Amino acid sequence: MSKKSNYKNIVTRLLRKNISATQLIGYALASMLGLTIVIVAVKFYSDVRAASEEDTTIGRDYLIIQRSVEGLGSLFGESDTGFTEKDINELKSQPWVKKAGAFTSAEYNVSATIDMGGRSLSTALFFESIPDDYIDVKSSDWKFEPGKSKHVPIIISKDYLALYNFGFAASRGMPQLSENMMSLIPVKVSLSGKGKQEWVDARIVGFSSRLNTIAVPQEFMDWANRRFGEKSSLPSRLIVETTSPGDPRISQFLKEKDYELAGDKDALGRTSYFLKIITGVVSTIGLVISILSLGILLLSIWLLLYKNRSKTERLMLLGYSPSQICGRYYLLIAIVNGIVFVISIIAMLLISLVWKASLETMSLTTGSPWAAIITGVILIGMTTGISFIAVRRSVIKCFRPAK
Amino acid sequence: MTQQRTTVEINSITINSLLPRVFSGMERDESIASSEVWLKKLKFERGEKILIRAESGKGKSSLLSFIYGRRTDYSGSIDFDSDNIRNIGIGRWCDIRRRSLAWLPQEMALFSELTARDNVRLKNDLTSFRSDEWIEKAFSVLEIDNRIDTPAGILSVGQQQRVAIIRSLCQPMAFLLLDEPVSHLDPRTNRLAASLIEQTLDETGAALITTSVGNNLSVDFDKEIVL
Repeated sequence: MSKKSNYKNIVTRLLRKNISATQLIGYALASMLGLTIVIVAVKFYSDVRAASEEDTTIGRDYLIIQRSVEGLGSLFGESDTGFTEKDINELKSQPWVKKAGAFTSAEYNVSATIDMGGRSLSTALFFESIPDDYIDVKSSDWKFEPGKSKHVPIIISKDYLALYNFGFAASRGMPQLSENMMSLIPVKVSLSGKGKQEWVDARIVGFSSRLNTIAVPQEFMDWANRRFGEKSSLPSRLIVETTSPGDPRISQFLKEKDYELAGDKDALGRTSYFLKIITGVVSTIGLVISILSLGILLLSIWLLLYKNRSKTERLMLLGYSPSQICGRYYLLIAIVNGIVFVISIIAMLLISLVWKASLETMSLTTGSPWAAIITGVILIGMTTGISFIAVRRSVIKCFRPAK
Repeated sequence: MTQQRTTVEINSITINSLLPRVFSGMERDESIASSEVWLKKLKFERGEKILIRAESGKGKSSLLSFIYGRRTDYSGSIDFDSDNIRNIGIGRWCDIRRRSLAWLPQEMALFSELTARDNVRLKNDLTSFRSDEWIEKAFSVLEIDNRIDTPAGILSVGQQQRVAIIRSLCQPMAFLLLDEPVSHLDPRTNRLAASLIEQTLDETGAALITTSVGNNLSVDFDKEIVL
């Protein structure tokens, strides 16, 4: 033994005598199990979510809501299928709504002419616009300034392209088009109304899987409605970003109000909802195990400090401060929790390989492990913090002998 | 560490109407009324050498425990200069115990699993007050240098008392509180211990407050008080 040993070594030797390896290992195993379950659940959820952003079959955060069209009334223009300000506010106040925006319809006539290799294709069209927040196709061209912009940017639904390629073009012997090719084609659009008519140039800048419409920027729509609009009507469709896709309250609300979803993808939302529930249940089980393991840790800390009570008191009689004594216990807890944390993270990464392979065969990428790691850091940090507080309190209690 | 070497200034300890709680209700008893300490006003000053004599059970150890802040089960007050010690927090107590008050409890409070040397070093590492050479010399002055690396638990009580005396001298101090320090020492070892203690008192200018049930430390006391 070195003569130069400092107090830390002597105090450590004194206090570690009563440490029970069995209790520590018991705690470490329980804590590892709990932590691993929680972070695996988080990792699973974030992976599946990440995959679902590429493939809209799982998560669908956006709903497009419209009124049901029923009976003959609408044929004669008697019923109004628009949404009033009150309807929109009521929708916004629903707990599952994060935000909601209205589609603005064109109040004028639109027709477009496309010139393809000498064959010109002309068709009547419609335009709608929604606030930019809801546009899922990021494009720097997505803006319009009246009088300055050379052409109007247009986003069309992916479904329309598919309809053209596999329905129309195939049967008429027209060329099939890729998204890139489509965006190179110049489109001439005729706007008319209020006895005026005007031609503008347009260009397709993106294809949306979220919007089943032909969308133009809100600025363009406002400008054109002012210029050619004959009557102003209420928005006929709403787009809603929801906080919990598949929530049963959504279909209940829609049924009550006699609204319907554009494109019945409700089942897909439900998949995502169940995924959320399962993740929640599994995380809760993991959390319960983590809390129980914290209980084991606290009990062993109290037992250890109880056994060391007289030593702790004598050390403080010599002038050792509570911090100097606590430091020895903090070190022990930090080392054990550090090991628990590292092993749990490794376990999580290994376990996630199981589903990573199957997601990859569907050519979907997995998410980053950071959400799971941060969850782990928070949990282990809280465990460590709570046990530090318990240690400090118990040590300070030893300052004066029990009455 | 240089800061640790300096004494926190305490020039006097005043006790006022002090009475251990176990004696409350016995204020009119002969044993309390005749005491020169309980329920009286008393002032200990730096540099003094005071012997407190009492029979067993009169509360000597309690008195020193109160002054050292270990126990608070008393009525009345104890002041360091003009500070009531009930208002001193744990942090400041630890500082005072490292730099102002040295204490040898009657039960010695050694760690039986540590060697005699480590018991002393446990204190000295905290204060850096003594050199290793000084500690070894103290062991040889008190004739236990051959036991320096023996676990304290297997030393005789007399040997343990000497280790505890050496440990109590390993810090800067304004007051040295010794609770029956030589109860298990023979007259010759008592004189050796007394000389080591007086040397430290000279170095530090500290006051000595010691208790005894009969076997007094061999020091010329300025004052003897009967508890």
